[in-house]
Amino acid sequence: MSSATKASRIGEELWKTRVDKVNAELVTLTYGTIVAQLCQDYDGNYQDVNKQLEKMGYNIGMRLIEDFLAKSNVGRCANFRETADMIAKVGFRIFLNIAPTVTNWTSDNNQFSLVFDENPLADFVELPDDGRAQDELWFSNILCGVLRGALEMVQMQIEAHFVSDVLRGDDTTEMRVSLVRYIEDEMPPDEE
Amino acid sequence: MTQPARHAAMLSISNSGSNLAAAAEKQQPAQHLHTQSQSSQGLRVPSNRKTIYDRHLNRSRNAELSRASFAFLFAEMVTYAQRRVTGIQDLEKRLNEQGYPLGLRLLDLLFYRTMSSSTSSSLSSSSTSASPPNRPLRILPLLHLIHGPLWRLLFNRPADALEHSVSPETPNEYMITDNDPLVNTYISVPKEMSMLNCAAFVAGIIEGVCDGCGFEAKVTAHNQPTEMWPGRTIFLLRFGESVMEREKVLERAGVK
Amino acid sequence: MSVFSLIIINKAGGLVYQREFQPGLRKLSTNDYLVLAGTFHGVHAITRSITPKLPLPVTAPATTPTTSTPNAVSPSATSTPAPSTVTHSFPNPGIPATGLETMETDKFRLTCFQTLTGTKFLLFTDPTMTNIDVIMKKIYELYADFVMKNPFYQLEMPVRCESFDRNLTGWLRGRA
Repeated sequence: MSSATKASRIGEELWKTRVDKVNAELVTLTYGTIVAQLCQDYDGNYQDVNKQLEKMGYNIGMRLIEDFLAKSNVGRCANFRETADMIAKVGFRIFLNIAPTVTNWTSDNNQFSLVFDENPLADFVELPDDGRAQDELWFSNILCGVLRGALEMVQMQIEAHFVSDVLRGDDTTEMRVSLVRYIEDEMPPDEE
Repeated sequence: MTQPARHAAMLSISNSGSNLAAAAEKQQPAQHLHTQSQSSQGLRVPSNRKTIYDRHLNRSRNAELSRASFAFLFAEMVTYAQRRVTGIQDLEKRLNEQGYPLGLRLLDLLFYRTMSSSTSSSLSSSSTSASPPNRPLRILPLLHLIHGPLWRLLFNRPADALEHSVSPETPNEYMITDNDPLVNTYISVPKEMSMLNCAAFVAGIIEGVCDGCGFEAKVTAHNQPTEMWPGRTIFLLRFGESVMEREKVLERAGVK
Repeated sequence: MSVFSLIIINKAGGLVYQREFQPGLRKLSTNDYLVLAGTFHGVHAITRSITPKLPLPVTAPATTPTTSTPNAVSPSATSTPAPSTVTHSFPNPGIPATGLETMETDKFRLTCFQTLTGTKFLLFTDPTMTNIDVIMKKIYELYADFVMKNPFYQLEMPVRCESFDRNLTGWLRGRA
């Protein structure tokens, strides 16, 4: 059984048996209200909004990893490929009930893409028709931060960014994830 | 207490200067029922047309997500709000403001769903005679809408109690009780902030629903712990004078 | 009930939580707990560093998949940041050494669970107590819920979360 198949089974089993649920619309709308608030607070500067969303995701990721580990009971991944499957098939399943496709690996196995068929955070969403938002705002950017924060806590420094989003009129929603390095020392990072 | 409903203010902003219009639009990226015209510059859409217009609005009706995801998002909302405020009241006000637009939207969604379910049930007889959604005209039906359908939509259960103020001084005050608000499940408020109740967010949602229905109101969340329910919260709804006056007129006219 | 007390140590070795679950249990001074946490943290690190390492055959790749990892890992996936010059390794190279996990006297047992993020949970129990892993797992879940999801908790700082205390005590009492 491949590491992806195994991870899928773990993820589905956890979703069915271990995850407390709430109405999806409550989560979707709450996220929408967060983004809308940021757009207001940053006066329509979408670059700043992207940055702030990433930062909020980072703060969440540093905490969410404990929930992930406590619920999933999984051990350390042997390599970055296994980590990718764990994120896509277990992490996204237990927190958003989706399992993005892992694809487009670089030959050094340090970079991959997550392609999202569904994105519950963006249900109901249409970006502002102001001629800028579709070029500048990454609505779901919080997810990039969540990955960065969560993986940093398990000694992986990564970088993540969206390269396309159906909200922008693209045909897919795709996030690029790169391993920067494994962190050797165990000093706690500062909360942003 | 007598200032105009906030959504009215929001709408009027969007009609004024273009900068402000953009700001007002940005307040609502999560629209259920689009009201603005699609004809302006036009948004790009994916070729597979996975847009809000092409997907059924009831698609997520019974969908579930993890409670943890909500908790983390909500916690981060609180943390973020906390950095921009000066005190507890200010923080509660901000959380209220974050909930408010949700209330406006959920109201549309509630009506839409009440309407679509009654349409489908009467399809066999005549699809055109489907009754329009029942917008509450009096305070009591509005409160029942909040206590029941709204709570079920948000939290999968009705609220725990609905009461009218017993004091003759405050006939405009109503209370909705939640013994264990979902939004506060994992939150422990520090002792020095013991007055704070983060369900101010939910108070904002209620306020949005009231305003959206044309019932101007101020809604606040208060801690009322009991031995059994340490997180018990009372949502205090104070309706504006205009609402109370209209209530009297409708009462005389026999409107229910 | 044979769970005596719980200590949580953050990844820098600082004491962030301490609680007794048996009424009337003799308390140590705050300072003693701080010293205990710091000392344990140090000893834990030492036990990790003195884990015996075996010499590696020169030809073997540094990260041969172990029996405990999925056996279908493709050979191309073996790159890790570990310097390729390492010639010694743990018996199971894919899995880092854990460090001290239990300590036992005839009066009590100390069980340490270190999360992958570096937080340590130290549980003091009766030495005859069984199923400690179940208790530890539940404590970790409660911590993930009532500490990590609390916006007023700052990471790495002392845990003062009333609902964590309440749920932890409630759960432990329920099992007794």
